[in-house]
Amino acid sequence: MKGEKKFLAGLAAVAEAARLADVDVISSFPIRPYTGLMVDLSQKVANGELDAEFVHAEGEHAQLAIVHGASASGARTMTGSSGVGVTYAFEVYSPISGGRCPVQMVIADRTLDPPGDFGSEHTDVLGARDQGWILGWAETPQEAFDNTLIYYRLGEDQRVSLPQFNCQDGYFVSHIPGEVVIPEKSQVEEFLPPYKLAKPLDPLRPYGHGPQIYSDQGPTLQLQRAILMDNAKEIIPEILNDFNKIFGRKYDSYIENYNPNNANICLFINGAHAQTARFAIANLKKQGVNLALCKLRFVRPWATEEIAEALSQYKVVGVVETNNSFGISREAGVFTPEVAASLYNLPESKRPILISFMAGLGGEAIRLEDFYFMAKKLADTAARKKIEKEVYWIGFEEE
Amino acid sequence: MSDNTVTLEHISSLVKAPLEEQYVPGHRTCAGCGPALAYKLIAKAAGKNTIFIGPTGCMYVANTSYVCVPWTVPWMHAQITDGAAVASGIEAAYQAMIRKGKYKGDFPNIIVMGGDGGTADIGLQALSGSMYRNHDILVVSYDNESYANTGIQVSPMTPYGAATSFTPPGPKIPEAKKLWPKDLTALIYYGHPMVKYVANASIGYPVDLMNKVRKALNKKGASFVHVHTACPKGWRFEASRSIELAKLAIQTGMWINYEIDEGKKKLDHVPKEMKPVEEYLKVQGRFNHLRAEDVQKIQRFVDSKVAEARPVAARTV
Repeated sequence: MKGEKKFLAGLAAVAEAARLADVDVISSFPIRPYTGLMVDLSQKVANGELDAEFVHAEGEHAQLAIVHGASASGARTMTGSSGVGVTYAFEVYSPISGGRCPVQMVIADRTLDPPGDFGSEHTDVLGARDQGWILGWAETPQEAFDNTLIYYRLGEDQRVSLPQFNCQDGYFVSHIPGEVVIPEKSQVEEFLPPYKLAKPLDPLRPYGHGPQIYSDQGPTLQLQRAILMDNAKEIIPEILNDFNKIFGRKYDSYIENYNPNNANICLFINGAHAQTARFAIANLKKQGVNLALCKLRFVRPWATEEIAEALSQYKVVGVVETNNSFGISREAGVFTPEVAASLYNLPESKRPILISFMAGLGGEAIRLEDFYFMAKKLADTAARKKIEKEVYWIGFEEE
Repeated sequence: MSDNTVTLEHISSLVKAPLEEQYVPGHRTCAGCGPALAYKLIAKAAGKNTIFIGPTGCMYVANTSYVCVPWTVPWMHAQITDGAAVASGIEAAYQAMIRKGKYKGDFPNIIVMGGDGGTADIGLQALSGSMYRNHDILVVSYDNESYANTGIQVSPMTPYGAATSFTPPGPKIPEAKKLWPKDLTALIYYGHPMVKYVANASIGYPVDLMNKVRKALNKKGASFVHVHTACPKGWRFEASRSIELAKLAIQTGMWINYEIDEGKKKLDHVPKEMKPVEEYLKVQGRFNHLRAEDVQKIQRFVDSKVAEARPVAARTV
């Protein structure tokens, strides 16, 4: 593996990737915990390591508007936020994706107010999951670095041309250093071609961006937007194949299956807590308990068939929900209904029982003991072949 | 800032204005529309090397329909909230792309055409941010004194005493709107030390409007032009009288044309003797309900505005 090994936290890793991607326009506004990204980027610009316009926006809404205009003009852009900053910018998400502007927004998750809570919960950006953005989480600083390059390549591909939420858990990934291999500039150039927008705002080739339509013209446009996300799904394997070849990594496309052999129970998980889950799984194995893990690499596009196929081999699947969707079906988080929908059309014999674990809310750590508890509930359900309880709130249940 | 800029010449009279139009037929604005006329003049003055940003408002909804926009130059829709922020991003992109050799053309004129709501109200934060950061852009507020696109609702620029669909007169509130409008040009100039050029202009004085646009575009950095644009539908007067209304506003002191160019303030078109405001008010349906005491109140407000419109000390930044 070519490159230089560094010890970096997730946000510092993304800043390194942005430097290598030769980003042109950055827009910033401070909010914990993502702020560290902009601290690093502004230093790189001040040092002359990165030639970019660094715009101090007056808020997250303006941050997104600035990169919208910059991306529409043909510049590669980066912005970011956390928590209520993510929700403050909400208006601009659909205009950016509908305008086919492949902006990259780095999210270090934070719990939404009230009350003020710096801890990581995925509810902030999951609220924007339907806005036409590529969306996925990194589990480690290395994956955060890699996703930055992968998302630019995917989002800027003219078959897709969509913005990306490049997410990592606040603190667990954003602030805890890990080993990151920084590749050589030539490798990045081989993987990521210069950004070229099909129809930029350019007086030499004038186009109008975003005129009004009549409602009878709406369905076609909305279908086109849906197709872009299908295109993204289709080309993800091609892009990861290139990435793995050039950088010597082993990423799966949409989901990563960990310890799938001989297990009849599985956790379905997203983000940083997959790290602790892996340790729990290793410890359980020593005790003769086989627990598998299915980690999501992309939330949008959602890989229905691949998720159904991966989960169909288990008797019971537990969805770990580090998000809230108050009043949602079964009172779980947002992933449970999506997983259920993915499994619904499987033959009954192949359809696992589905339960949910509300865990890590408000940014609380999910401990090894919590994963052992989940494994026990999954195993009990598998033995009973019958659901006892649909949703467990970790820390509030009787053993 | 980029050196790839082109200087625009002074226009000495209407017949010397460029014949070439950049804002062309194919839109659905009302007969007698002041903002549409302002757009035509501003686009003419700016010329081909221009990008327009159109935050939501009349000049978005009435100008565009699917695959049909009335501009020969690039135009981008922005939200009513964020026109000046989108323009900031476009400017930053061109600064970076020209510096890094990624764009070979000239640095473009970047013009936001925001309504009074999109600049003085919901768009004020983005406007202030862009002026503070001194992006090389021009923000135009085409001011028809209401949220006209949605059916004439009150905005901060609506005059005291005007009826709108959110400020109807009634027995409890006989004067309709009870608040005085913001002084947007002063707010921008005095609140933003980097801004070198601001101006008030009017569709009643087209050559002056075009020259103010050119002066603003020739500055390196942020500038602001506030254009009074009569609105027959919202103000309730005959469509053939828009220019007459625009001039009457100047003659009564209801609108004052001026510029502040690097600290030098110059008043334009201010008559020696002001006509009473009543002459302006009585020809518009939106003021029909006013009582004599309301008219006197407006007259006193206008008298003090005219008195305070005096030159200011030069700015040294």
